[in-house]
Amino acid sequence: MKAGLEVHQQLAVGKLFCGCPGELADEVSGTFERRLRPSSGENRAVDVAAAFQAARGLTYRYESGPANCLVEMDEEPPHAMNAAALETALTLALLLHARPVDEIVVMRKIVVDGSNTGGFQRTALVALDGSLELGGKRYSIPTICLEEDAARKIRDVGEEVVYRLDRLGIPLIEIATGPEIASGEEAREVAEEIGALVRATGRARRGIGTVREDLNVSVEGGHRVEIKGVQELRKIGEYVRREAERQTVLLGVRDALRAAHASVGGLEGVDVTALVADIPNGPIADATGKGGPVLALSLPGFAGHFRSPPGTEERLGRELADQARAAGLRGLLHSDELPAFGVTPAHVAAIRSFLRLGPGDGFVLVADRSAERAARAVAQVARRAAEALDGVPGETRDPLPDGRTRYSRPLPGRDRMYPETDVPPLSVPTERIVQLRRALPERPAELRARLAATLGLSDEIVRQVVAAGVVEELEDLTGRGYPAALVARLVTQEVPAVVRPPTDGFSRDALAALLSAARDGRIAKEGFLPVLQALAEGAATVPEAIERAGLAGFTAADLADLVARVVAADRDLIDSRGDAAFSAVMGDVMKEVRGRRDGREVADAVRRALAPAAPKSEP
Amino acid sequence: MAGGGSTDPWPRIAALPMGRKVEITDGHGRRWIGTVVARHELSGERILPLKLESGYNIGLAIEPGFEFREIEGDRERRTAEPSPSERPRSGGPHVALLTTGGTIASRVDYETGGVRPVGGEREILDFYPELDRSGPVRIVPVFDRLSENIVPDDWVVLAGRTVAAFHDGARGVVIAHGTDTLGFTAAGLSFLLGNLPGPVVLVGAQRSPDRPSSDGSTNLAAAVTVARTALLGEVVVVMHAGLSDRRFAIHRGTVVRKMHSSRRDAFESRNRAPLGTVDGAAVSLAPWARPPTSGPARVDGPIDPRGSLLWTYPGLEPDAARAFVRGQRGVVLAGTGLGHAATAHLGWIREAIADGVVIAMTTQCLGGNADPYVYATGRDLVGAGVVYLDDLLPETAYAKLLWALGHAPDAAGVAALLRRDLVGEFTARHLVEGSG
Repeated sequence: MKAGLEVHQQLAVGKLFCGCPGELADEVSGTFERRLRPSSGENRAVDVAAAFQAARGLTYRYESGPANCLVEMDEEPPHAMNAAALETALTLALLLHARPVDEIVVMRKIVVDGSNTGGFQRTALVALDGSLELGGKRYSIPTICLEEDAARKIRDVGEEVVYRLDRLGIPLIEIATGPEIASGEEAREVAEEIGALVRATGRARRGIGTVREDLNVSVEGGHRVEIKGVQELRKIGEYVRREAERQTVLLGVRDALRAAHASVGGLEGVDVTALVADIPNGPIADATGKGGPVLALSLPGFAGHFRSPPGTEERLGRELADQARAAGLRGLLHSDELPAFGVTPAHVAAIRSFLRLGPGDGFVLVADRSAERAARAVAQVARRAAEALDGVPGETRDPLPDGRTRYSRPLPGRDRMYPETDVPPLSVPTERIVQLRRALPERPAELRARLAATLGLSDEIVRQVVAAGVVEELEDLTGRGYPAALVARLVTQEVPAVVRPPTDGFSRDALAALLSAARDGRIAKEGFLPVLQALAEGAATVPEAIERAGLAGFTAADLADLVARVVAADRDLIDSRGDAAFSAVMGDVMKEVRGRRDGREVADAVRRALAPAAPKSEP
Repeated sequence: MAGGGSTDPWPRIAALPMGRKVEITDGHGRRWIGTVVARHELSGERILPLKLESGYNIGLAIEPGFEFREIEGDRERRTAEPSPSERPRSGGPHVALLTTGGTIASRVDYETGGVRPVGGEREILDFYPELDRSGPVRIVPVFDRLSENIVPDDWVVLAGRTVAAFHDGARGVVIAHGTDTLGFTAAGLSFLLGNLPGPVVLVGAQRSPDRPSSDGSTNLAAAVTVARTALLGEVVVVMHAGLSDRRFAIHRGTVVRKMHSSRRDAFESRNRAPLGTVDGAAVSLAPWARPPTSGPARVDGPIDPRGSLLWTYPGLEPDAARAFVRGQRGVVLAGTGLGHAATAHLGWIREAIADGVVIAMTTQCLGGNADPYVYATGRDLVGAGVVYLDDLLPETAYAKLLWALGHAPDAAGVAALLRRDLVGEFTARHLVEGSG
């Protein structure tokens, strides 16, 4: 298995080609509607991915607000490139030992899914041939690009997709690694390290959605598949692993299909509406009831291969259904899952006989109220079935929350790129590079070493702090005098358990108030989690949250009373088991303390209460 | 074919043709492989523009120690021109599409990095394959020019081609034109074309057609719809009514003006509401739209280009204005406010009028009337013989002046034509709505 990453990190420097603020906004003051059509690039070819999107013929609606200007609406040419963004990209290039190009050429990357009002994303290659050392391994960084983020999708209903312009044009640093990553875990570590590098510039945006990863995965004999827009770093490993599994399954299916002499005849289906017109409900009836056709595609040799092989959930049937969905349908039915969904054994027999299928042959049914859409879906499904005979098709896939992915579109090619003629080429003077090289920020490795040395934290804790991007919080709170180990635990464990990403959740002052409460003995560190939860659920202040969490007013005397009560109740146990009863008593006490007192204090109190009562057992 | 060596490789690298694939090395192990693409006018010295395998372009500074070699047999593919699809030629009268260049018919020029006009029917149909979906469209290339390079004599040529198209059986005529001077051409054609049996629709694009979001295709479709269906016998401009690709405004050719340098809805009717709208296939027209005649269309020429347009402004030197007017038969002033020029200009104005030059006054406010009677300055100007042109836009007044100069031998005759409402160019009642 080989994997490569593209890390996309937003910068907090305004927008890349206009003077608007680079922040998300809730206020919408107007909307407008656009239709996009693919245009041809320098060599006159229309990009396959662009043509695919345009074939769907969608109308796009855009929401704009006071924080948007004409540039984002594609009503005014782009302004000069944001100097701070460019400087950040060049700084990163130097941190990654890459070579800045001599002259930067801004390109248009055609994207006609509506996420860019112009129908293209502006992107520029800033540096080449870098590298990253991590854990004794060297990863190549072939390219570092600076590009515009796309508009934010708000709704996707029927034929209209709604985007908001707030995110459009926020600068994104794109750092690509070579295909040298060997496991999902390694992919996550590399992504974390690159994230830490971008944060080292001090210009990374923080918060949800500010980092997105594209994962390029292929297995031996497979094909490059791009999983686009993974937002949760901790899930990278799972996506990579499951994609490798999917490709392996598809290679197995290919071998089985070849052994069965499977084939795909053509791209057109056969109209079998008359054979299934009597089905009263279900997906078939939904189409026939509205006058739509039912098309059958015969797939000789495919019988039994639509289903999952043993030990996996991946299957060819889903791959084909994804194609039907991409064509605008809800799905399809394949012969391995029939009879079902209102299709009876008699229907199956009729279809099989009509298509002249033998026992080893399979078929697929596609139904829709639009004949045109059904025909398009059949063609796409047939193409995908033919690709199954070759193994793994290269494609772009969307990550799903459960760790799986779904087909989204063909892999875009180089035909989608042509120069942005509204922006002149930008030269990168050597003097500028020299200046930037002199002022490079602290690298993550240096940062980790410094934190470990100055704060006395372990390497592993420091690694977690840097990877989670909470160095600012750590430095701020330890600077206010709170113990480093406690702060590190709070910002790397309790806070992320309540809110993700951790930088979005709580103000530094709230965290400081929480640490103060622990220092003053008002709560124990075991109480951090319930108090944070109460804050997240709307408590206005830390004292109110402590109150809501039911942790208020449990004093040392209350603890002594509680321990005495538990010891009395557990007397028989203590008498019979002696020292061995400690953990049982401790457990009973902690159940009632619930984070209101420090665990060590509770243990001491229990130990004290047991000491005189428990007779030493002599050997 | 090796191109290396100890001598400076730049002259040979600079001479590489576009589309050639090359490998460049710097002698220290660094290597670039890419295809030579067009050099940008604003690129630096010794910069080779390369398209890398990834599709990205970069500029590479070629130093004397560099080496290069061409990679043979792997020339950049240039996809063949797509063959024109079989177009069902539905019957019925056609719409003539006259092309003049401009953004609406421009494509990226990779030689210069800018946009250049497309030429010929083939390229237009490549760009707008949906153009003749609702009926036949005949494409007539007339010019191949950005509109800043169109001159008044070109209006006469366009008027001739328009009349020829109607004589050829066109139901309506669409003229694709650059937007910079589209308003001037619309005004010029409004006076030059007589007895129109159908709509003459000027149309343009504000956003270049090499972007998927270009307004060119939807504007053109709306213009063709107007030309094919509207009961209209005048020169109009059809462009976006707002920022959406949904509604399009139909503007009378004499009251329309480009009011923004880049927005899709840059064109506005001044002093009155638009003449109509296009929403999908539905065209609606105001009651004051001029209906078609039974024909035949004719060119009401000629024009005399010895007229000009001069904005007055604080600091305009009377001597500079006097020199500017020399050799002209008429001058339209775009005056301040209600139509004023500084008192210091009265001298040359009186001299010019005495010499038989027509001096006409409009307002640079671009809304409302020029009116000489409110202030002493205006009374002095009108007393000197300046012809006040009410709410005519300066550009429309200029086009009308050239036309009038071609139709009357003396100043009095020109002045009389200028004051007469010929094609609905004056708006008598200025309402709150659509007052510009």
